[in-house]
Amino acid sequence: MCKISDSFNRKETGGKKTGSNGRLPLTIVSGFLGAGKSTWLRHQLHEGCFSHSYVVVNEAADIPVDNLLLHKAEHVTLLTGGCGCCQNREALRDILRHLCQLYDEARQSLTSSSNYNDEQFPLAQNVPASFAQIVLETSGLASPGNIAALIEQDPLLVRRLTIDNVIVLLDAVHGRAQLETETLVRTQIEAATRLVITKASNLAEQELARLGASLRQLNPIAEIEAAEFGENFALPSFSNALPFILPRLSSTDIPITSLCLDIREGGGDWAGLSVWLSALLAARGDDIIRVKGVVATPTGRLLLQSVRHIVQPPEILPEIDLTRDMTRDPATHGSASIDAATDDHLILLGRGLDEARIRHSWRRFTLS
Amino acid sequence: MCGACGFPSRPGHWTEAGTTNPADRLRLRYMRLALINRLLKPYGLSAMDNGAVAGYQLMAQGGRRVLCQDLEKLWQEAAKLAGEAIDPLSPRALADA
Repeated sequence: MCKISDSFNRKETGGKKTGSNGRLPLTIVSGFLGAGKSTWLRHQLHEGCFSHSYVVVNEAADIPVDNLLLHKAEHVTLLTGGCGCCQNREALRDILRHLCQLYDEARQSLTSSSNYNDEQFPLAQNVPASFAQIVLETSGLASPGNIAALIEQDPLLVRRLTIDNVIVLLDAVHGRAQLETETLVRTQIEAATRLVITKASNLAEQELARLGASLRQLNPIAEIEAAEFGENFALPSFSNALPFILPRLSSTDIPITSLCLDIREGGGDWAGLSVWLSALLAARGDDIIRVKGVVATPTGRLLLQSVRHIVQPPEILPEIDLTRDMTRDPATHGSASIDAATDDHLILLGRGLDEARIRHSWRRFTLS
Repeated sequence: MCGACGFPSRPGHWTEAGTTNPADRLRLRYMRLALINRLLKPYGLSAMDNGAVAGYQLMAQGGRRVLCQDLEKLWQEAAKLAGEAIDPLSPRALADA
């Protein structure tokens, strides 16, 4: 596993929005049926996480239950009667479009007021009745990758939303069996940026560590944690634990591996990267599960992220002030140095990645 | 919509990020063209960018041309013309020239 991936995760999930180019952040909370999504989300809302959020709950069933658990949310919209990633796709799209419209209208009314200062954004700090992010609790049958595709394919949503985080929950008790039998569970886990093992107290420490190791094997870069009724639960160290031996499941039978490309090595740049990666994703988008990286361009530092073959519109990151960071903490060089070290690296996660072939291809088609 | 090529307005493809002014944008297009052609060559295809129309002109042997507004469209159309995906990892792409 590439060592720099942890700092990419920190960048994503550290709670600090690095600027989303004016787009509304969307957090996807997913997990298989009965994983405890609503319970976990309810506790997070109670704790003040996802503040100023508009919560959208999707249930595959016709009769809603989950919304009853989420009374702490400031705004909730319920989508029932089908999974929003497939059969109820258009309804989910309409809801997300409507929320973008609400957000824009609130912003316009704010900008028209005389004392508006653009630096005062996010909106929710100024208009308590409004919201500054969307949290989507998917149905237990949803694939986060399909929701990313829904957003990318919609001309309005692709301009207005940015997927901030994909949080996937897994039931500690049934997790092992689900991993062994359900392709969808593995697909959800592979798409996550943050994994939460729920109902963790019901599992012996050794088994919990093995479950953690299994998740790490399926998703080499996501943050992994545990929870009990939504509260943090100490996850035992799983670095030396033995992952469960998972049987082959049709398309997900080859384990996911990761590799890290140094974009600058040999003189590579944004022009070469964009050509090579776009061709690679067009040809092998089903095998490349995820791409992450920060690359220097004439505009500045771009954060690249993909779920399957869908690449989100790159986000422009602030420039790094190394001198300030050195002054603050010369011993450790601080976070700016970590950011600088992660720049111009591209992490690829996928199935059947032939590292030697990828590096050979990279050199042949991107370097002059 | 572009009056010259008829492409409808849409959010830019992710590969179009990274430039803010026309000069950088044009420079990036030309820098990419050589790399695109390096990938297309093993498949008997080539691309041209004359800087005047918004997109790449994809050309097959025999004279067939397709105008592609971004790289995603280019790889899709090239796969149709070649009869297979333009795969940077394929033995065909990586074969010694």
